[in-house]
Amino acid sequence: MGHSHSEPHVTPLKVYFGIFGSLICLTFVTVGVSYLGLPPSLSIIVAMAVATVKATLVSLWFMHMLHDTKFNVSLFLASIWFIGIFFVFTTLDMASRDKVLKSSDTFEYRKDYAAEVAK
Amino acid sequence: MSSEHAHADHPPYQAHFFHTMEQQNSSSKLGMWCFLVQELLFFSGLFMAYVAMRYFYPDTFSEVQERNLLSIPMGFTNTLVLLTSSLTMALAVREAQLIPIQEGAEAQKHRSNMMKLLLVTAILACVFLVIKYFEYTHKIHIGLLPGSFYDFPEWPVFKDPGTGKILGVMGENGIIDVRSAPHIFFALYFVMTGVHGLHVVIGVGVILWLFLRGKRGEFNQENYSAVENVGLYWHLVDLIWIFLFPLLYLVQ
Repeated sequence: MGHSHSEPHVTPLKVYFGIFGSLICLTFVTVGVSYLGLPPSLSIIVAMAVATVKATLVSLWFMHMLHDTKFNVSLFLASIWFIGIFFVFTTLDMASRDKVLKSSDTFEYRKDYAAEVAK
Repeated sequence: MSSEHAHADHPPYQAHFFHTMEQQNSSSKLGMWCFLVQELLFFSGLFMAYVAMRYFYPDTFSEVQERNLLSIPMGFTNTLVLLTSSLTMALAVREAQLIPIQEGAEAQKHRSNMMKLLLVTAILACVFLVIKYFEYTHKIHIGLLPGSFYDFPEWPVFKDPGTGKILGVMGENGIIDVRSAPHIFFALYFVMTGVHGLHVVIGVGVILWLFLRGKRGEFNQENYSAVENVGLYWHLVDLIWIFLFPLLYLVQ
């Protein structure tokens, strides 16, 4: 390393405004879609897909991940990977615990309870 | 090389234990990334709590939207405010990158641009907090509060007369629906937006700290890692809101 400094990578203004415009458009999309009255399972998928695209735009251009070192980027990707493990395994646990534990009445109507308390 | 010679070689902002500014900058950025990764893991716990509660009480989450208990216009405005502040922050970092090492009119111009953009970012962050304040006070006023504090007459819950514990929502004919839990939704709402709001407050503080350092004539194109790191933090705060807004305000 001969030089004590290197010129930073300066992103052109056009790129910043382009990314900002896309983020605003996607915000309108996600709000617009919410008024369509999609079924819950579909609406959460659409909303999360749009949010993921927005997050990608922010991290690649605003956070300069495009020009960051491979080490910093892999640190970020590793955290996403571990969050994925956390989410998948916890969800699998929630989805399968009824098969193990007999606790289904926890989330059922309890018609008798008010009468029981009143006694 | 005598130690005095080495000393003269260093710009005043370069710490002695770094060989080059490049090394100093990449070290500070690595430290910032470690912190941001920790932030992501920390917030993922809250998001997982959201997923779990949605899994257990799906009807509650749809009913919150059906009853319009969260103001979409306010959340939408806040999203636009935060995205704009992210842009001004990115532009402030860009101006810092353009400040030449040689002081002069050019350096002053870019530094003053940077400071103006930092100030706009801090003001937008305050606008976000003011809107959040109005949302919070309205909810507190009508009783949409977390856990046992929940007391919203239009969607009443049934509390155990003995322990005061919320057992479910009062349905027709005195039936208690234990599958509905608005008090848990609002616990999630206040914790998630509250922790995020705390990050915004801290963000205002560190942005003003950069502003003061700029006022003292600091930062140039080889010494701007503080500006860049605060920028990374601010974009992360934006990133988290990008997920919070649809999950809490929009998804049925």
